[in-house]
Amino acid sequence: MLVRSGTGFGALALQAMLAREARGASQPPPLPGTAKRVIFLFMHGGPSTVDLFDPKPLLTRDNGKPYPLEAPRIQSHKSKNLLLQSPWSCQPHGESGAQVCELLPHLASIVDDLCFVRSMHCSNSRHGGALLELHTGSDTFVRPSMGSWINYGLGSENDNLPGFITINPTNGHGGAGAWSPAFLPAEHGGTRIEGTGGSFKIPFIDNPLKDRAKQRKELDLLASFNRDHLNDRAYDHDLESRIASYELAFKMQMEVPGVQDISQEPDHIKKLYGADAGPTKSFGEQCLMARRFSEAGVRFVQASHRYWDSHGNLTKDHERLCQEMDQPVAGLITDLKQRGLLDETLVLWGGEFGRTPTAQGKDGRDHNPHGFTMFMAGGGIKPGTVYGSTDDYGYYATEKKVHFHDLHATILHLLGIDHEELTYHYAGRDFRLTDVEGRVVKGILA
Amino acid sequence: MLGSLCRAEPHWAYQPVKDPECPPITQSEWAREELDRFILAPMEKRGFQPTQPADKRTLAKRAYLDLHGLPPSPEQIEEFVNDPRPDAWQQLIDALLESPRYGERWGRHWLDVARYADTNGMDEDIAYPSAWRYRDYVIDSFNKDKPFNTFIIEQLAGDLLSSENLSRKREQTSGLGFLSVGPKMLACDDPDKMRRDIVDEQLDTMGRAFLGMTIGCARCHDHKIDPISIQEYYGLAGIFMSTKTLTKYTVVADVHEHDLTADDVRQGWAKVKELERQQGQKDLNKEEQERQGRELAALKEKLPSPYLVMGPTEYPTQNVKVHLRGDYQTLGEEVPRGVPAAWTGGAAVAMPEKQSGRLELARWIASPDNPLTARVIVNRIWRWHFGRGLVPTPDNFGGLGEKPTHPELLDHLARRFVEAGWSMKAMHRLLMNSATYRQSSHAPQVLLDDDPENQLFARWKRRRLEAEAVRDGILMKSGRLDLTMGGSLLKARDNRYADRSHLEAHSLVPRRTVYLPVYRSTGYDGLKAFDVSDPAVSEGDRRTSTVASQALFLMNSQLIHESSGALAQKIMAVPQDRRASWAIRHVLGRETTSDEEQRTTLFVNTYGDTEQAWAAFARVLFSSNEFLYLE
Repeated sequence: MLVRSGTGFGALALQAMLAREARGASQPPPLPGTAKRVIFLFMHGGPSTVDLFDPKPLLTRDNGKPYPLEAPRIQSHKSKNLLLQSPWSCQPHGESGAQVCELLPHLASIVDDLCFVRSMHCSNSRHGGALLELHTGSDTFVRPSMGSWINYGLGSENDNLPGFITINPTNGHGGAGAWSPAFLPAEHGGTRIEGTGGSFKIPFIDNPLKDRAKQRKELDLLASFNRDHLNDRAYDHDLESRIASYELAFKMQMEVPGVQDISQEPDHIKKLYGADAGPTKSFGEQCLMARRFSEAGVRFVQASHRYWDSHGNLTKDHERLCQEMDQPVAGLITDLKQRGLLDETLVLWGGEFGRTPTAQGKDGRDHNPHGFTMFMAGGGIKPGTVYGSTDDYGYYATEKKVHFHDLHATILHLLGIDHEELTYHYAGRDFRLTDVEGRVVKGILA
Repeated sequence: MLGSLCRAEPHWAYQPVKDPECPPITQSEWAREELDRFILAPMEKRGFQPTQPADKRTLAKRAYLDLHGLPPSPEQIEEFVNDPRPDAWQQLIDALLESPRYGERWGRHWLDVARYADTNGMDEDIAYPSAWRYRDYVIDSFNKDKPFNTFIIEQLAGDLLSSENLSRKREQTSGLGFLSVGPKMLACDDPDKMRRDIVDEQLDTMGRAFLGMTIGCARCHDHKIDPISIQEYYGLAGIFMSTKTLTKYTVVADVHEHDLTADDVRQGWAKVKELERQQGQKDLNKEEQERQGRELAALKEKLPSPYLVMGPTEYPTQNVKVHLRGDYQTLGEEVPRGVPAAWTGGAAVAMPEKQSGRLELARWIASPDNPLTARVIVNRIWRWHFGRGLVPTPDNFGGLGEKPTHPELLDHLARRFVEAGWSMKAMHRLLMNSATYRQSSHAPQVLLDDDPENQLFARWKRRRLEAEAVRDGILMKSGRLDLTMGGSLLKARDNRYADRSHLEAHSLVPRRTVYLPVYRSTGYDGLKAFDVSDPAVSEGDRRTSTVASQALFLMNSQLIHESSGALAQKIMAVPQDRRASWAIRHVLGRETTSDEEQRTTLFVNTYGDTEQAWAAFARVLFSSNEFLYLE
């Protein structure tokens, strides 16, 4: 049994535990984990990492020529496979010398905290399929999302908060599948909060009467009715739990709005994230809220930024997207570090795939699941690292390839969970986040 | 193929259904139906007694909630309580089974198994504009007590049946929604993979729904536990590969629909099209144009919409090759289309040359000789009545599922079910008439301690109402429930994608919950909190959790505040000194204690605004365990 302080969003510890045992779930033995929480910054649409973090001089040299190696059998769009040079340049930064595109000055300034994996790959060339692969490990079947698995495996650190929150998630391209518990118990699913600026809300968290004293009276009367009802019956754990659940909900109502209220942050912190004004405001606010939730003990927080799908207008669109994303992400990592939280918080950045080194139209790139870059920080990851590589043109991952299954295995490892041991019995067999695959990428561990 | 599996002892579920003798019991006066003897025997063996029968008031509430998913009115309760006829209970059950509310409740149970949704979800959330016809078909089939074997055949091969008229044709074809409503990866760049994945999802759902089998495992290897080999899997796959579910297998294509428009309507629409074409061509003056425009509009106004039914159709027949390790690019031997031996008692089933074979398959599934089908459905009915199946894993009868607690009773019921013409309503009557069903939940502590899961069925196990019954009950008791049946509220954008911006508005529509469109990509927060089934997978055994988000819904949602406000107005119309007792009787169906009366008066007097106080009191009743639990 893992040591846990809670079991999920308002779930009552004993009951959830009993239910879990009844359903034949298996708990992994505790390993010495370094990370306690994950913040996943999801770049929906597929950022062109060949331009951002994995520069290829041959692309410039051979601009307009056919890709000399064999192009993939399955492509999202018919293509002549002509190479397209990057509209921007990359420079080495920091002591690690990691390459970062000129569009990302803030990230460039913290490269020594980052670990770039340039050899990511997955199987599906479409948004929905690749997105589900990234979030659940499967582009074929309905499976629990990684946030749900982690929430299930570790439980929440804070009984008044959900263990898995997704801020402004992607509703298309897999939708709820990306935060669904699938066959895991419902309380392990992601709690979606949507909105803009200060209007993000957990469902039903606000009392429309806005009168706490009156609501207290109402709940007291309810409790007295429920007590009478229970006293007429032999002890019933379900009835008892439900009585307690109203008290828990009442406490959550008080705690949650405070946690998500970013207006409480001092100005210099808002500025650090770019959450004060300008094009960085929206994603900056989300990153700041993600930190607040994570700090309060939410195991898995996801914030999503979109829409990186630059089939055309690559130059203009990526310039804007990079500007919106760069400072908030760098701000988050810097902030976690200065608070001493980075060591126990794994930050993951990436999209469902990257983009092809070949052109689509004059100024666009197609989906590329065959080789792309993601980066991580904190949580026991080796900082200042560049791991793996793609071919000379940046199409295929070649050295030290890392599949999404391997990413999942590594994230679980960092949290102290053996990915082969975290199972759930359903429909006659034990399921895992990594199915029958996955290996821990030792080369990126600190 | 059975021979390829080594097994020391044959698995119970694949053995023919027996007709076991009723076991000997001591307290034979307790038994009302034969089934009670099967329940009592193991109880007596373990030294337990059945729990005393529930009182009539409790039974009335139980019957209404169980069969209709709606709480009875105080008048309905009194009518039954004061009915002196010896067969009052049977009369009540018969009356409830005649009401269309029954199909809405029990059809919803089946829709869980059919993983029903109005949109695709998965990668591309395309709206399924005619999926609702399948939902209405299911409700209608339950209401008219369609024999379950016919229900199976229509859902798998309704398009291949002969029909005496158009209305019957429409009904049969609507059943095919079962095969089409599943989640699909629609944006797959590899059309071959897309088709095979769709077929796999269909096979998997069919196996779970009708046979309690996880046949999906055999996609990659011989099933390690259950009698289905990889060859048999691809024999089945051939049937569905000879069936067309999408109009074409390209990125984000449409789901195939059968056009069953009446001939005159079809001609009408052809005429509209022709007129529109002519109008576009002619160089007419403005006046004439307007006149023709009006004529067209009037014509269109009168014409009913084309009658479209979602469901697959036939495709050129083909056999498929075994996919080694499930990989469609590594092919093995070709296997003829066929039905697994375990479902036919080993008989080989001849497949028609010019048809997919869906009809033959459906008939074998719906056959009384299939050892699984009748057992699986009677177990589902038992599960939905009692909250726990005789086989506790209703979707998995295989070697990895749990064994039946009462194997002989399961066979006994399966026999009776088939004998009664596969009638669902006959099975409800049988189960509800039993002494087992009528027990109270007030059981002795020693039984509660020794059998917490109620494996003996020696009492009624109290359980929370499902999401739909909670929502419908609140709407009904606040006088807001709109009982309009059927049709669709689904909103789609012009590009065919589901328009999720209406979700909140839908959640407030005071129709029965079964009629709210199901958006597979998302869902209603309030219903999800109460464990509504996830339409991504077939589910015959919904969970019942107790989480704080349920409390938040009952404390703060717009639905509860609108409803409690409406009930407060009704309460205010009652003379002041009778308000508390009226409200408690109205919502909970019982008299008030003097203690409750006093507490309520104190609450209202110290709350402030009177009407608001009664609204708060209404929420207390809607949130009370007494309201939320089926007792």
